[in-house]
This record gives sequence, structure tokens and C-alpha cells, in this order.
Amino acid sequence: MTTATFAAPQAGAAPAIDRLFLGLSLVATAVLVALVLLDGQPASAALILGGFGLGIAFLKAEFSYTASWRRFLTRGEAGGLIGGLIVIAICALAVVPVAALKHDFGGAIAPLGPSLLIGAFTFGIGMQLANGCGSGTLYTVGGGSGRMLIALLFFVVGSVFGSLSLPAFLALGGIDPVLASDYLGPWGGLAATLASIALAAVVIIAVARKRGANYRPSRSYVLGGIAIGLLCVAVFIAGGHPWSVTFGYTVWGAKIAGALGFDFSHAAFWQWPGPKHALSDSVLSDTSSLTDFGMLFGAMAAAAASKPFAATAWPPLKSLLGAAVGGLLMGWGARLGFGCNIGAFVGGVASGSLHGWVWFAAALPGCLIGIRLRPLFGLSRE
Amino acid sequence: MRKVYIVVVLLGFAAIVGNHLVSPSSGRAVSPEDFAGACAPCGAPCPSKK
Repeated sequence: MTTATFAAPQAGAAPAIDRLFLGLSLVATAVLVALVLLDGQPASAALILGGFGLGIAFLKAEFSYTASWRRFLTRGEAGGLIGGLIVIAICALAVVPVAALKHDFGGAIAPLGPSLLIGAFTFGIGMQLANGCGSGTLYTVGGGSGRMLIALLFFVVGSVFGSLSLPAFLALGGIDPVLASDYLGPWGGLAATLASIALAAVVIIAVARKRGANYRPSRSYVLGGIAIGLLCVAVFIAGGHPWSVTFGYTVWGAKIAGALGFDFSHAAFWQWPGPKHALSDSVLSDTSSLTDFGMLFGAMAAAAASKPFAATAWPPLKSLLGAAVGGLLMGWGARLGFGCNIGAFVGGVASGSLHGWVWFAAALPGCLIGIRLRPLFGLSRE
Repeated sequence: MRKVYIVVVLLGFAAIVGNHLVSPSSGRAVSPEDFAGACAPCGAPCPSKK
């Protein structure tokens, strides 16, 4: 998880419920669900509730891509990465065949090229400085981390800059998405996808064993991974596409900038049909925003149900600066790299799209650099 | 930090509801990938379409 943000309750101590924030999170979720139901959109309500469940699952399992990747790179520990692969494998079981067979569904695809490589690499640096990725930022903000509140703010800003940069980076060239099911059919594509996940697990375990490190995921990572994988499937069924996080941030930032007088009518990104529609329509019409809101309030409810909410002091300024720099890099990188650990890596691989693995391969060295830079911001390399 | 959180949550929630009430809502929630020509989760076009 975005580590060290939450302290485990003392054994035997009764959980202290923070009624104010528990109530706020539940009322806010209920109002959002009511608003979309009034519009006759049960699928939107399902996305909010799916996000709510994801917020609880991530927070309770302390599931973190950022810390898992760092532990693997610094110590060789592979349990967290294996937990992440469990999520992807469960998700793939539904996404690959359904996206190939049902017209109303689609996988997370993206072109391969310099934009993907640069974006993922930059994102990798940012996630180690911020100490949380796209989903990690969401659930730790929901969990009461003021530091990650700063990271989220700058993530949003960075993603708007990324939206303005993306067309120029796409112009550098690239090739169309490579999807396993396009070549092998729905079931062959699923077999190839699961085989690629198994191969990755074998390589990761081999590295861990060679370094004498633990490669078994903890019980909470296994259970959390299963729960998160099943919720990913639910979000896919409700939204028609794999779960994504960061497009919502870009929409929020552009809406705020627009309200402050910024004109996006000449920005190429915001003239593409999808982003143009998202910018003009209600924020509750965007699938990514719906799950994001649910996840924030779900994590808030889970945190407030077990301890006083946001009761810790603000971290040192250096640490907040790290969160800001990391957030900016993640935001910009997520737009150029077509998403974060969730939208690009989990969603991409679970769709059988080659860009998911390319994103992983490019983000990992970015993480290495980010880990080296962490002490500059008062953060441990471990 | 609690006070900051209360302000952020209330402002954020008001912004969400306000945006929803003043913006058009064209039926079911969509992703940019739902639109013709989209080649990525953000709706970017395919390189081959250029």
C-alpha cells in the first residue's frame, strides 16, 4: 500500500468509529447513487458501488502496486507482484472472451509507440515519489492521508498537461494495438493471455528465489487480490470496459480549468469524440469518474469505521513536495502512457493487449529511478 | 488535517452534484473507448488512421 500511511489497530482494542466521516462517505455515496438512478442509469449505480467495494478491498488488504514493485526491485520480494497477477488473471477470464464475443463490450487497448514508453516510464518515477499509483492515490486519499491529497491534486494537474501533450507524442509514430483475441480468437486469446501471466509469474518467482527473497503473497494479498479481481469483473460488466482510473482525473482537471476560464476548444485531445463528450457532459456520465468517486468514499467508509479519520499530523514539507512532484509526473505519464497500473497494466494485460506488458516493462525502470530519488524527499528506498 | 478533509470533501461533493445538475447527461455512462475511432482508453485515434 502506500505504505506506512495506516497503522494497524492494536490487538484486542475495539475499533474507534469516526461517525462524522463514516456518515459523510455513506451519505455522499447514497446521493450519487440516487442521482444516477433518477437518470435511469442502474449501470452507473453499479459502477459507483463497484468502486466503493474496491475502495474497501484495497484499504483492508493494504493492496499496493507501488510498494510491491519497490519491494521486488530493492529486495527481490515477489509476493506483492504475484498478488497483482492474481487480480489480472481473474479479470482476464471475463474480459478477453466477453470483449471478443459481445458487441457491447470492449477491452483496454492502446497503440504501441514512443508515447506509451515515455508515459509509462515517467509514471513509474512518479509513483515511487508520490508513494502510490492511480488506485493507490485514490484509496489512500479516501483513507485519510493528507499527503496523498496533495498527490491527487497534482495528479489531476499533471493529467491535464498530459492531455495537451499527448497528440504531439502520438505524432512521433507507433503501431495499432495488438490484441491476442484478434489473432487467436476469444478462447485462444484467453489461453495466450493466461499463459503470458503465468510466464511472468515464473520469471518473477525465479528472480525472487535467486535473490533469496520471499515470493509467496501474504494471505491478505491473496484474499485482497481475489476480491479486487472479482470487483474488476463486476466493473467491466457494468461499464462495458475494464476498470480505469486516470481518465476521470483528466476530466476533473479540465472541468475545473474550464470553470476558471481555460479554453480547450483548440486542444486536439479535447476535440476527439470521447474526451469532448466527457468534458461537456455530466461528470456522472463518465465511467472512470463513477468508479473513482465510489472508491474514494468506499475507502473513507472503511477507514472511518475502524479508527479516527485523518487524525495524523501533516508530514514534513519535503515529503509533501515529493507527493506533488510524483503526482505531476504520474498525471502527465498516465495520459501519455494510456493509463496507470490499473487502466494500462491490469486492464491492458487482462484484455490480452500487448500494450499492458509494454507498459509494465517501461514503468519498471522508471520505478528504479524513482526509488533512487526518494531520499531527496525524505522517503526511504525500502 | 481533519478540518482540511471536511472542507475538501464538502467542496468536492458540491462540485460533483453541481456539475451533474448543470451539465447535459446523455443516457448511460460512457468511456471514451465507446466512440468511433477510439484506439485507447482516453479515446486517442489509432496510428493507422492518420
